[in-house]
Amino acid sequence: MPQTMAEKILARASGRTSVRPGDEIDARPDFVIAYDFPGTTDVLFRAAREEFGMDRVSSPERFVLFIDHMIPAAAPKEEELHRVTRAWGAQQGVPVHERKGIGHQVSAELGYATPGALIVHFDGHVSQLGAFGSYAFSARRGVLETFVSETLAITVPPTVRIVLTGTLQTGVMARDVFHHLVRVLGPSSCAFKAVELAGPVIDEMSIEGRQTICGQAMFLGATTMLIAPDARTMAWLEGRSRLDLAPVHPDADAVYERVVTIDVSELEPIIVVPPSPANTRNLSEHLGIEVHTGYLGSCASGRLEDLRAAAQVLRGRQVKAGFQLNVVPTSQAIMAQAAREGLIECLVEAGAFISSPTCDYCYGRIATMADGQRAVSTGTLNTPGRMGSVNSEIYLCNAAVVAASAIEGRIADPRPYLEDVK
Amino acid sequence: MSLRNLRGRVAWVFDEDNFDIDRIIGISNLKISDVEQLAALAMADCEPGFAATVQPGDLLVGGHNFGYGHPHFQAMRAMRHLGIAGVIAESFSPGFFLGEINMGFPLITCPGILASVQRGDEIEVDWESDRVRHLPSGRSLPLQRLSSAERGTLEAGGLIPYLKTRIASAKGQQPSVNPK
Repeated sequence: MPQTMAEKILARASGRTSVRPGDEIDARPDFVIAYDFPGTTDVLFRAAREEFGMDRVSSPERFVLFIDHMIPAAAPKEEELHRVTRAWGAQQGVPVHERKGIGHQVSAELGYATPGALIVHFDGHVSQLGAFGSYAFSARRGVLETFVSETLAITVPPTVRIVLTGTLQTGVMARDVFHHLVRVLGPSSCAFKAVELAGPVIDEMSIEGRQTICGQAMFLGATTMLIAPDARTMAWLEGRSRLDLAPVHPDADAVYERVVTIDVSELEPIIVVPPSPANTRNLSEHLGIEVHTGYLGSCASGRLEDLRAAAQVLRGRQVKAGFQLNVVPTSQAIMAQAAREGLIECLVEAGAFISSPTCDYCYGRIATMADGQRAVSTGTLNTPGRMGSVNSEIYLCNAAVVAASAIEGRIADPRPYLEDVK
Repeated sequence: MSLRNLRGRVAWVFDEDNFDIDRIIGISNLKISDVEQLAALAMADCEPGFAATVQPGDLLVGGHNFGYGHPHFQAMRAMRHLGIAGVIAESFSPGFFLGEINMGFPLITCPGILASVQRGDEIEVDWESDRVRHLPSGRSLPLQRLSSAERGTLEAGGLIPYLKTRIASAKGQQPSVNPK
């Protein structure tokens, strides 16, 4: 039977030859990933132990934990939570990675993002491992099932195939493409569905750009988003993959619930205006709004191409006096490479405040905004209160837009700055 | 075990699509953990005194993609405390849907519901026939069937009791659970 990527991966993980949308299966995840956060990992550990009497997870080699939130700790109870996580990992034989970067990125660097793998987390941004051909999704609190049993109950989702055609204009980055998908298709268009992303735009796109798009699948309502591995994927993964799985590709005659082709040639840089990730507009409609702070980082953006774009805009220029530009590379590996390329020096000289990798800027734990302040951000969300006061506002945009806005102190178009460089 | 039908009045109709449920208690109140306080705040921005109008068993009705955004658990905790027994919507945002089903709180997807009911109407969710009935008119609409795991989770009263029954029955069939 012809199958989509999602169907092939779920079939293998549930020991079947094939599955169809709507099938209820018990699948064995290849990897269970989590980061520690109050009310999640602590609750999972306690529930497994106290409610189920589980002293050890089964097959601990499938598990991996990240400490990427509340890093560095700013209160004793935060460090206490990390201590609980480290102790649990040591007792279970489960690796705990801390201070290496945002887990969704580091799990790719460490080879958990194996093409064809089934991966579960409680956080939906794990879907970015789909950039490598993994089926990675959030079970929310249902991830508990994987702590107390080998398998997880899953209903096989239908697949929507999105084909991107055309050529991206200067100043348009991967996250603009994603926001455009939300604008064209709608924020619930792919609810409870898997998305296969393909087409010449994806073929030409960097691995980093693919991670950016796949990681935001939840804002289309999608369970996950996958890209079939190609030569670029396999080269990136060389020497990294932790599993020896046959990479999965969709069958040519696979059955999709819907196939959508979107041409992105006319796409301009996007701005997502508060208070919802669905409010996608052209940047040109919102130029000139005064902004006080900028955040370049997160699991969505903050990779090398984002840092390079910001450096291109900021090279030889200065962040406007009083504007707070926070640049947070997504992982230590990315930060080290950025240093080798001179990007860190360029950004620091322009007036950026550079932090080691952490999730904390994205949800307002640090660089917290006060009433009436406004941010341009490459974070994941713009809901009120996400980065501080509920009376502060977040405009989501690409890294070049953050950099241009930092120079002008208002929402600005990066294209004139990028053209200067050429 | 079987699911008990839900029967109650429509306590509120959220007719806005992509409704961010955090607005029910107010985003600035998300840090409150006391459920009494949360319940008193429910809908306060729209209708002060809403809490006093709710009777145990009442239901909420929502539009498309109800629960979009970054939903926190406080809003539905508050609603449950007031006696709300479930939400019936045109469709739900997946993260919200999974989160609340795992809490054992019924969310019922029922296309057409918004145009079929008004605040105060008595309605019934019939799990046998998988239909939502509008009692004043006698009309009914099909609801989207839950998966067996979702149904089991609601029957058990939440994820933890459900997983306990699942594991117990698995052990009954195959005494040792895998380790390699």
